[in-house]
Amino acid sequence: MLARMEISVEWLKRAAALAGFDWSDADLEPIRPAVARLLESLERLEQLPLAEVEPTTQYRVI
Amino acid sequence: MAELGRMIATKQVSPVEVVRAHLDRIAALDSKLRAFITVCADAALESARAAEADLMGGRAVGPLHGVPWAPKDLYSTEGVRTTGGSTILADSVPAADATVVARLARAGAILLGKLNMHEFAYGPEGLNAHYGDTRNPWSADAHRIAGGSSSGSGAAVAAGLTPGSLGSDTGGSIRIPASLCGITGLKPTYGRASRAGVLPLAWSMDHVGPMTRSARDCALMLSAIAGYDPADATSSVLPVPDYTAALTGDVKGLRVGLLRAHFTDAAASDVRAAVEAAAKQLERAGAVVDEVNLMHVAHVAAASAAIVASEALAYHAAWLRSRPLDYQADVRERLRLGAFVTGAHYVRSQQVRALVRREVDEALARRDVLLAPATPLTAPVLGERETTLGDGPSDVRAALLRCARPFNFSGHPACAAPCGFTAGGLPIGVQVVGRPFDEATVLRVVDAYQRITDWHTRRPAIA
Repeated sequence: MLARMEISVEWLKRAAALAGFDWSDADLEPIRPAVARLLESLERLEQLPLAEVEPTTQYRVI
Repeated sequence: MAELGRMIATKQVSPVEVVRAHLDRIAALDSKLRAFITVCADAALESARAAEADLMGGRAVGPLHGVPWAPKDLYSTEGVRTTGGSTILADSVPAADATVVARLARAGAILLGKLNMHEFAYGPEGLNAHYGDTRNPWSADAHRIAGGSSSGSGAAVAAGLTPGSLGSDTGGSIRIPASLCGITGLKPTYGRASRAGVLPLAWSMDHVGPMTRSARDCALMLSAIAGYDPADATSSVLPVPDYTAALTGDVKGLRVGLLRAHFTDAAASDVRAAVEAAAKQLERAGAVVDEVNLMHVAHVAAASAAIVASEALAYHAAWLRSRPLDYQADVRERLRLGAFVTGAHYVRSQQVRALVRREVDEALARRDVLLAPATPLTAPVLGERETTLGDGPSDVRAALLRCARPFNFSGHPACAAPCGFTAGGLPIGVQVVGRPFDEATVLRVVDAYQRITDWHTRRPAIA
């Protein structure tokens, strides 16, 4: 996971490009803090006891 | 809606009179509330005249015959534009009704128009830069938010512009405006009501459901819309019970778990007191109340944000590339977050989802329903960013989502209903959560509560 690295605008541009988006510094600077918070919070999910838990792939369709 | 349906069926009132009265009210109040995006006055009156002719001709009528309603503007409506609260779809006119819209039409309900919402349903505040921010009718002059994303539905039902609505709920978007506007809103079990023809925010988290003034009216609407739909691969084949027949008023012996940590204990003090009082009232009515904690619920915010951001970006990617400036700023920024969620994050979040679902199931294995605040705060002022909850400061958006989103994540049915008012006159909402596909018990508890309280009968001064 990527959350522990410094989230710079340059990093965001590269990651966005991998996802197929060509966003400018002005596009990315406003969301940089929110991306950092989101990735940090996702990093915390690694501490949960999930080894034996299968991901939800189907919902309660009976 | 139930009362209007009865009065129309017994010819005490004409569908034309009822529709005209609601159109007059919309004309008088909506410039202030901004609840409607589109009003279908001529078509509604035409439908009302046809309903009246059917009634006078002795032709069979459905339970909602002649009763007006209005959906959030993300339900496809044949011949009526469906904007999703956006300019991108400002001129989009569907060729067919969403399944649930068609079912309400078959039950005799008359479409008044389409209701305002947070753009593309991506925000719990109910803000809209294109069609105006919906105002909370309990404090229209103070410019408090109605809550979202089904903001127009919350405000319109509370102010009497329509007796009922369909909202959609991905992180609380039915229950948040229901709580902030003092009405009753039900998010059914995932799969209970078809999403076909409804603009998605996040397919695996989206639920459709009624927003009305009582549990009885929610039961009436749910009975009309629920059930299998081949056009929605996630809709359930389970039979649909008669939800109104379940409203016995009796909660004796029902086991109610008051959710403490993260929910009631984290709410603002006036909300906490009102929810605890609601638990006491149910106890006095014969329910057996205990307290329960969900250990993993604190992780719902991160995991559901990853799932919603990923799914929403997948839906919006093409427009986000070609028309980014046509989105309002907050929605554009939220959509962009999805580009930084990896596949591994998404799968991990789905694992958390399984964990939380199991935990909620276990809590409900020993209880019939769970009780919690619908929102831990009352309606914030428009533009307010920070608030203080029972466990400290929080940004408003996170606070609005906090108590509702876990049950989008888990898929359990949940109903928000008014349970009091602040000293300043703002509604407080409680939430009743049930076992999968047991909306009947959820509605039974809310209805029983509404028989012994009058919070749901109160109307804002604007109304």
